[in-house]
Amino acid sequence: MEPILKIEKLEKSFGSLKVLKGIDLEVYPGEVVCIIGASGSGKSTLLRCINLLEEADSGHVWFEGRDLMDLSTNLNKLRERIGMVFQSFNLFANKNALDNCTMAPMSVKRLSRQRAGELAVKHLTDVGLREFIHADSRRLSGGQKQRVAIARALCMEPDMMLFDEPTSALDPEIVGEVLDVMKRLAGEGMTMVVVTHEMAFAKEVSDRVVFMDDGVILEQGSPAEVFGHPKEPRTKEFLSRYLEDK
Amino acid sequence: MRNLVDFIKKDRRYGYLTGMILTALNVWMWCSAPAKLGFLGTDSILLYLLAAVCGVFAVMALIAGAVKLTHWRSYSETVMRKPAMRNPGRYLYLLVLAAFAVTVTDRIVLGFVSLAKDSVAAESNPQGFLASMIYMFWKGRSMFGLGVWTTVRIALLGTAVAFVLAMLLVTLRILKPVRQDNDLARFCKKLGSGFSKIYITVIRGTPMMVQALIIYYAGFGLLKNSAMTITEINHIWSAFMAGLITVSLNSTAYLAEVLRGGIEAIDVGQTEAARSLGMTNWQAMRKVVIPQAVKNSIPAIGNEFIINIKDSSVLSVIACFDLMFATTSVVGIYYRQLEVYCIAAITYLILTYLSSLLMKAIAKKMDTPARGIPSSN
Repeated sequence: MEPILKIEKLEKSFGSLKVLKGIDLEVYPGEVVCIIGASGSGKSTLLRCINLLEEADSGHVWFEGRDLMDLSTNLNKLRERIGMVFQSFNLFANKNALDNCTMAPMSVKRLSRQRAGELAVKHLTDVGLREFIHADSRRLSGGQKQRVAIARALCMEPDMMLFDEPTSALDPEIVGEVLDVMKRLAGEGMTMVVVTHEMAFAKEVSDRVVFMDDGVILEQGSPAEVFGHPKEPRTKEFLSRYLEDK
Repeated sequence: MRNLVDFIKKDRRYGYLTGMILTALNVWMWCSAPAKLGFLGTDSILLYLLAAVCGVFAVMALIAGAVKLTHWRSYSETVMRKPAMRNPGRYLYLLVLAAFAVTVTDRIVLGFVSLAKDSVAAESNPQGFLASMIYMFWKGRSMFGLGVWTTVRIALLGTAVAFVLAMLLVTLRILKPVRQDNDLARFCKKLGSGFSKIYITVIRGTPMMVQALIIYYAGFGLLKNSAMTITEINHIWSAFMAGLITVSLNSTAYLAEVLRGGIEAIDVGQTEAARSLGMTNWQAMRKVVIPQAVKNSIPAIGNEFIINIKDSSVLSVIACFDLMFATTSVVGIYYRQLEVYCIAAITYLILTYLSSLLMKAIAKKMDTPARGIPSSN
């Protein structure tokens, strides 16, 4: 099977600080890949380089056979098919939940207001926010905001979803409602790349766990392998410290 | 009604003190010359009645003061704080307040009305300061009216035009070259951003009075080179046009900075979210960032309007018939500078105050914070 996403020798630095030091990664359709690692190890940067919110210095990112690093590639077209969920939600502050979801389908895919509205109601209902569709996005709770953000991304009917620490800004009590939505999404066969600190979620849901440290992928494998029998001492150290904290 | 009852029932901590001050003011007003239209003449019974009320109150207040002085620490236990003494004191205070209101109506309000009536009807400029102000304001009312109308028009139109131009200018300013751009696009973006930077620096770095003079005479210079006759030029190029253009171009620079600040204050995550959904940079700007930025800038845009009301006064140097030019014209007729400039100050204050109330109402409706009358640019 062809990978839906193929990253090759990706490098990125901010000034003199080298954040990504040659990343190679393949993601297959329907796969759920969780990227774990300490803060500052380059996880979020890697995710942001996948849909070019950050422009990498060198290397290649192929998505569905097109190289995003190629200057002639229409990035906007490719981004339509890659959904992204941010740590800080980034809901459009001037819009209600429904308009947050309909804006992109209407202005990018040129759907009619009615068609986009139906789609938005469907996805908002799926994330359990049927009664909040007219709520001002600033008045929603963190968990509700993040679920609206997921619905907003799904309204573009993407082939792959990127999650950048989707629960890090949430209270521990409401992390669950967002993770449940993500689990359901994984169950429906969505290809997902998730940067997370939720080890239980990674263990339970992911097909593959990628451990990043200091700008490189140190180790990857099934959750059982990585969590059960980590090969690298650094992975062991990270995981043991994490499990102690919990 | 309920408020009135509460007001009457209220226990006044410094009632005697306030009442004595009001009594003194009453006596002072009664001693001044009665107004022509007034009803409290020296022989009026009402005046004696009011005087009697104030007298009784004064006696009571003096007794209270004496008791307070002798029983400094235990005043609340003295007879003055018993209902038998407290209630009459309270009602007397209210009567003194009423007497004060009656006296103010007679001596001040009706006094002003009589003065205004006399001044308006006067055949020559009266000597008194206030009388002369009213006289000249009345005689020059059509000029002041035209001046206010021109000032408001210039401020309103100027701010509106400036907003549109500032929107264009700020668009030029924030365009950043992206990796797909070819050399021509890069050059154009650099050029646009450079132009807007230079424009803002030049406009903000020179006085509006100088800008007005340059625009006025440059307009004439340009039109003179064309085939038009002087009459045709005068037909299309007026001081009003020059003034309007000056205020618009001047305001554009300031509003562009306001809008740029507004746009830069919007969280970069808003743009990233829009881009991640496949929207182009332009779509993200137009649908997500700019609506929020403009909304947040509404108080600052309102301030710019109020500043334009005040600063358009410099347009009088090009004989644009605004409120300031009307004022100097009236000064030229009567040679009474201080009085006429006070009229102008009061008129400007009324205009800016009303505008700031309006802006506050708009800002409240739009759910954005607003401030009072702003300082000049």
